[in-house]
Amino acid sequence: MQKAARIFIALAVLAVPASRAAGQLDTVTPASLPFSFQEYRLRNGLRVVLSADDRLPLVTVAVGYSAGTLRERPGQEGLAFLLENLMFQGSENISPLQHIAFIQKVGGELNATTTADKALFYETLPSNQLALALWLESDRMKSLAITPAAILRTRSELVSEHRARLRSDPYLSTFALFDTLLFPDDLYGHPLIGDGLRMDGLTETEILEFHRTYYVPNNAVLCIAGNIDTARTRELVARYFDSIPPGLDSPIPPRPAFKRENDAVVRDVRIPAGSAGFHMGFRFFPLQRGEADCLRILEYILLEGETSRLRSRLLKRDLTARYLTGALDERLSVATLKVFCLATNAVMIARSEKAILSEIDRLKTNAVSPEELGRARRRYKGDHLERLSTNLGRARYLVDAWSSGKSLAALDGELNGVLGVTPQALTSFVSRYFIPQNRVVLRFAPQ
Amino acid sequence: MKLLIVRDRSAVPDACFWLAAALGLILAGPAGAQERFRRTPPLPDAQRLELKLPAVETTVLANGLTVATARRPGSPVVTLQLVIRAGEADSPPDRPGLAALTARMIGKGTRQLSADYIENMIESLGAVFKASVFMDYTVLTMDVLAEYLDRAVYVLRLITLEATFGERELGAVRRAAFWELYESKKDPEVLGWRQLLAVLFEKHPYRLATQNEDVIKFITPRDVADFYGRFYRPANAAVLVSGDVDGPAIAQKIGSHFSAWSGAAPAQAPPPPPAANDRERICYVEAPEAGAATIFAGNVIMASSAPDFFPFLVLKQILGGTTGSRLFMSLRETKGLATFAFSEMEVFRSCGVYWARAQVRPEAIVPAVRETERVIGGLAAGPPPPFEVEEAKSYLIGSLPLRFESAEGFAEWMARYVALGLGQAQWDGGTEAIKQVNAEMVGETARKYLSARPVVIVVGRPEWIGPYLGGLEPVEIYDASGQLKSTTRKQGEGR
Repeated sequence: MQKAARIFIALAVLAVPASRAAGQLDTVTPASLPFSFQEYRLRNGLRVVLSADDRLPLVTVAVGYSAGTLRERPGQEGLAFLLENLMFQGSENISPLQHIAFIQKVGGELNATTTADKALFYETLPSNQLALALWLESDRMKSLAITPAAILRTRSELVSEHRARLRSDPYLSTFALFDTLLFPDDLYGHPLIGDGLRMDGLTETEILEFHRTYYVPNNAVLCIAGNIDTARTRELVARYFDSIPPGLDSPIPPRPAFKRENDAVVRDVRIPAGSAGFHMGFRFFPLQRGEADCLRILEYILLEGETSRLRSRLLKRDLTARYLTGALDERLSVATLKVFCLATNAVMIARSEKAILSEIDRLKTNAVSPEELGRARRRYKGDHLERLSTNLGRARYLVDAWSSGKSLAALDGELNGVLGVTPQALTSFVSRYFIPQNRVVLRFAPQ
Repeated sequence: MKLLIVRDRSAVPDACFWLAAALGLILAGPAGAQERFRRTPPLPDAQRLELKLPAVETTVLANGLTVATARRPGSPVVTLQLVIRAGEADSPPDRPGLAALTARMIGKGTRQLSADYIENMIESLGAVFKASVFMDYTVLTMDVLAEYLDRAVYVLRLITLEATFGERELGAVRRAAFWELYESKKDPEVLGWRQLLAVLFEKHPYRLATQNEDVIKFITPRDVADFYGRFYRPANAAVLVSGDVDGPAIAQKIGSHFSAWSGAAPAQAPPPPPAANDRERICYVEAPEAGAATIFAGNVIMASSAPDFFPFLVLKQILGGTTGSRLFMSLRETKGLATFAFSEMEVFRSCGVYWARAQVRPEAIVPAVRETERVIGGLAAGPPPPFEVEEAKSYLIGSLPLRFESAEGFAEWMARYVALGLGQAQWDGGTEAIKQVNAEMVGETARKYLSARPVVIVVGRPEWIGPYLGGLEPVEIYDASGQLKSTTRKQGEGR
């Protein structure tokens, strides 16, 4: 007994300080961001980021796993999305779908999403219920219950809901097809779910292996943003997450191996209903240091606001389009700029495409004016700060930074980097990347 | 049932990890393989944090314009809003959509400046400008970085007080509105909502008459100028600012910009609420591209100033607020009829509407309609058990702060509060008001508002009518523009 007691005391002496010293706690107060945060790592490899904000009695808990579609092997299309949904099917102490019920009972909101680089789970709830969210997230990280029945039910629901969406949205299938053309590497370009056939063929073994490999603390980040007491939060994090065993180190996702054509890729497809239009996209890979900043400003010059170049030209001046939108899509080291356009009629597709290319050519030859650049900068800054104004927005920003491999400390300079883009840098960027070999067009028209 | 507890057995954690894990097991005592604290959900922190919103500081200028500010520390983006106390219900019956088109024409030209120039001026500030039209009021919103707020106030004054309404600009606005209405007719949720209002408010200003995009074509610059002249007046308006601002200083600036605005308030009385529907009425709206059937079932309720507003909020939560509420549990989880089933409510100046909505397979239309009616009727039959009331209250109290997190959510709440002249309980007193609600109050409110038979709207493909509506007759069949096409009868009944 005495020996046992001595061992216990020795363990306690060793282990408690070890727990306290699990990771370095660095408080980062970025000058260019409207919040501060602390970052540390548990012994099992889980990265933890805390960001305190006491303006409202709310807290957001976000858990990101590097378990996106890039982790799927050929033929496993839909596996990452299926796993995301299986995370709501119960764990050792929580019955199927009770995760949702627990959060909703206290007035919280929750959701999850799967992208190329990660699966993200998050909930925002009253801040005095922080422990509840940590209990729920830790239980499914530690002991997710995957049953054949849960797999069958979840897969069937996902496939049937996706097929219903395909039936009601005539353009949806074109987005998936466009991605496969714009990212000519199956790993980077395959869709989240596709037609559902491959998801139907996934075996239980594949599902379990994916979970065992990627849903482990050393492949995850836990971000807590909101009305928190940092010391108390660290205690709770240690309580719920410290004893979860780590997994093996996850492999680094492979870099894309793009087969580059000698000219622009152009395809035509028929859709069951809707209007005629097209997708146009540009691929940027590999980006050099600072070039992502150019791309962000360029997105605003071309597409954000009614006075942006493409909206102004196609929707107001030429009247060749009746709907135009676009966005950046970044998948680890590959960035793309995508434009989606519904033409006023089928004849106007070619004119709209030509107008877009002509606006881009102007950027190659004429430097952007200080007024236009200033407008894009101010708009970008406003949107950026607005995104960071909620706990969820901050948590997602921090998780995104983690999943893209950035140092969180480097976030401080991110906004200033974008605001510091010069007209010369833009001209150089456009000339370098907006070339036919990086361009993809997918035209569609109703049958 | 085979249960696989997924753990990584092949991992090789470091020694430090196992040391702590061993300690964890020892400290957990004889509970077994897992720590005891994992078995049950943790209790919340004892001290519940109360919601306290920034105060709305209000002044009224000599010309009757209300100026309201709310300071939100740490919000670098400021929301500047002009609220006009006139909305879609104020559009003349022969000019539906006029309120919306008038609002969209703000910023499309002044006596001196063209629409393009104004657009460029606004976007040069990095600002985003939008017009939103509700049933009883209109909101013109400009989101701008705090350092450009002074300039934004100037621009807002310029485009509002000196607005002109040219045919060319109105033509562009009409075209955009036409396409939006045309496209929106493909959305079953929009079709269901419009038809519900059309039936519940048949000869009332709250009837939404913009079901058919063609009505937009007949609105002229003269119509817009008349609507503007009648309602865009200082005593019928308010300028609101929310963000990290010095309230008194910005209120003074607004005063100096808008003090020259003149005109008395229009003679307006809130429209009296209509009687609730109390007969079986089922409408089917054809949506040729619908992927699934959408069901709405709703009726008229009270205004937000009524004493039973907060008990009704709790009632609506019990009915279908979340996936744990009665509609979802019954229609989806128990009977497998629906993809989802929830309840909603919308409150106008003089009354409101509640509705249940569900998405179902076409072959489940009839049982889903009957089950929805049964769940609604069940609540009217007797008070819900106290635990259900407490769960609903817990959800409502906990979720209330979420509305105010974003600048947009806060500004929308503030605009509604000022436009409808609501009391403090509607600002941040909701928590206390909800706490006072008990099962008897909810039961009484349910008896009062849910006893009347709800109007049922089903939105789906035309080809589903024959095979899937048997047993619901009579059903009024409408096209996507809200035109009555026919009425189905029970077999043996004449047409």
